Amino acid sequence: MSFDQNAFLIILTASIISISCGLLGVFMMLRKMSMTGDAISHAVLPGIVIGFFVSGSQRGLEVIIGAGLLGILATLIINWLKNKAKVQLDASIGITFTLLFAVGIILINMLAYKVDLDQECVLYGEIAYLPIDLWITKAGFSMGPRITYLAVLNLVLVSIFIFLLYKELTLTSFDENFGLVIGLPAGAINLALMSMVSYTTVSSFEAVGAILVVALLVVPPATAFLWTKKLTSLIKLTCTLGIFIAIAGYYMAYLVDSSIAGMMVAVAGVVFLGSALVKSIKPNLLFGTSTSIEPLEN
Amino acid sequence: MIINVESPILEIHDLTVSYDQSPVLWNVDLSLPAGKLIGILGPNGAGKSTLIKAIMGLVPVTGGYVKIFDRELNDVRSRISYVPQRESVDWNFPASVLDVVMMGTYGKLGLFRRPGKKEKKIAMDCLEKVGMQSFVNRQISELSGGQQQRVFIARALAQEADLYLMDEPFAGVDMATETAIFQLLQEMAAAGKTVIVVHHDIHSAMNYFDWIIMLNLHLVASGPKAEVVTEELLRKTYGGKLNLLTKVTDIIRQKDFNPLKS
Repeated sequence: MSFDQNAFLIILTASIISISCGLLGVFMMLRKMSMTGDAISHAVLPGIVIGFFVSGSQRGLEVIIGAGLLGILATLIINWLKNKAKVQLDASIGITFTLLFAVGIILINMLAYKVDLDQECVLYGEIAYLPIDLWITKAGFSMGPRITYLAVLNLVLVSIFIFLLYKELTLTSFDENFGLVIGLPAGAINLALMSMVSYTTVSSFEAVGAILVVALLVVPPATAFLWTKKLTSLIKLTCTLGIFIAIAGYYMAYLVDSSIAGMMVAVAGVVFLGSALVKSIKPNLLFGTSTSIEPLEN
Repeated sequence: MIINVESPILEIHDLTVSYDQSPVLWNVDLSLPAGKLIGILGPNGAGKSTLIKAIMGLVPVTGGYVKIFDRELNDVRSRISYVPQRESVDWNFPASVLDVVMMGTYGKLGLFRRPGKKEKKIAMDCLEKVGMQSFVNRQISELSGGQQQRVFIARALAQEADLYLMDEPFAGVDMATETAIFQLLQEMAAAGKTVIVVHHDIHSAMNYFDWIIMLNLHLVASGPKAEVVTEELLRKTYGGKLNLLTKVTDIIRQKDFNPLKS
């Protein structure tokens, strides 16, 4: 097989998006908030539409700001419903994101003639068009695929975020009350994480769509967690899985001539099921107790 | 009987806490001395954990206030340490024993700074104090209940605080471990630290605590052990649980009774 530049670009971009989603997804999973990530990825739709409408293009900063605000709003509504209105967490997630997503769909239809956006694009994305969607400078130079740049920027920001707040994210994920007691701004850290998830969703949705974003947020971390109980290896394994999913997904889609995004989710699902099966048969594979238990001495 | 002290380390004034309109703590008003091992006793649902959480600002307070070291909570956070109930976290979290104990040092580190050699040494020392040094690299998902509890206590020690609040640190801990931890807490109190422990077992409470708080929605008693552990006050705290009370009277009758020696 000769070097195919388009294939390389698609796999590269998909891998970068997988890694960004996986990095955030690890912490979402540890906070038992994977479904909140799902909710956010859908709830940002009205923000995207409004941002789109205001800026007149999907390249606008307004789109990302709009989506970020809606992501935070969704988180706040979910928390409010759970804590103040005593609605169960899963129900409050279900109510919040379907409502916001519906508002988004209504907005798209109302503004249909002004906004070059449709539900399918938001839901499924189309990474195969990536090589023809180029970033062309004012002087007329082609800089390469626009979405790849967005993905790289996104990965850089997500990595900086997690690198800076690694200690705080870990502590508040494990024991939020303890974080509050020692004076960490646990609420602000939570909202910052949700904002990063919103931003990542928006940055990635053109390429892979809202549904694949959810899969990338949830499945690689969940798969990796079956294999390791160490946070650093969990993160590394999640990133590796993301890259594997991108490569395998692309070539499988190429073979059967189908949707790349769809095939990536399918590959991720199969890897997860396979891991779950192996672990259910041999639970102590790879990690197990290392030292024997000794009584405490006085 | 509520005995107040001069220049208290912790002062609670008229504290009322409610969940969904129904109060779980009524007008608790007490002051505590420094350098003592203090036990909070009371039946289930008496508001013992709520009292600790209210002191730590984890539950909203309906009325009254708490003063620690004669200051507001936010000014003195770095001097207070907290051991939550073991069940309050998911022990399946991907972290090693050392990771969790190091978390105790995060408050003093502040935002963005990573723990280094100094923090690791503090954590190792604290693990040694609770006898968990051989478990440093063990994943916390592989610990028994008593070991988890010891990890939490080590994490609190790593905060290097002056006031320790512990919410049922002896739940699910075997006798040998309980004795060893109580000895550790007594050493801490002797070194001038104040340790407040929510506790269930009246037997061991009689043996180890210097000062006892009895709680049953209202504050029943707060004072030195010798003065407040009377049949009348225990009856007031535990209500008409006769079976229990017979046992309690037995204990009071044999004041030097020690279940550990027999």
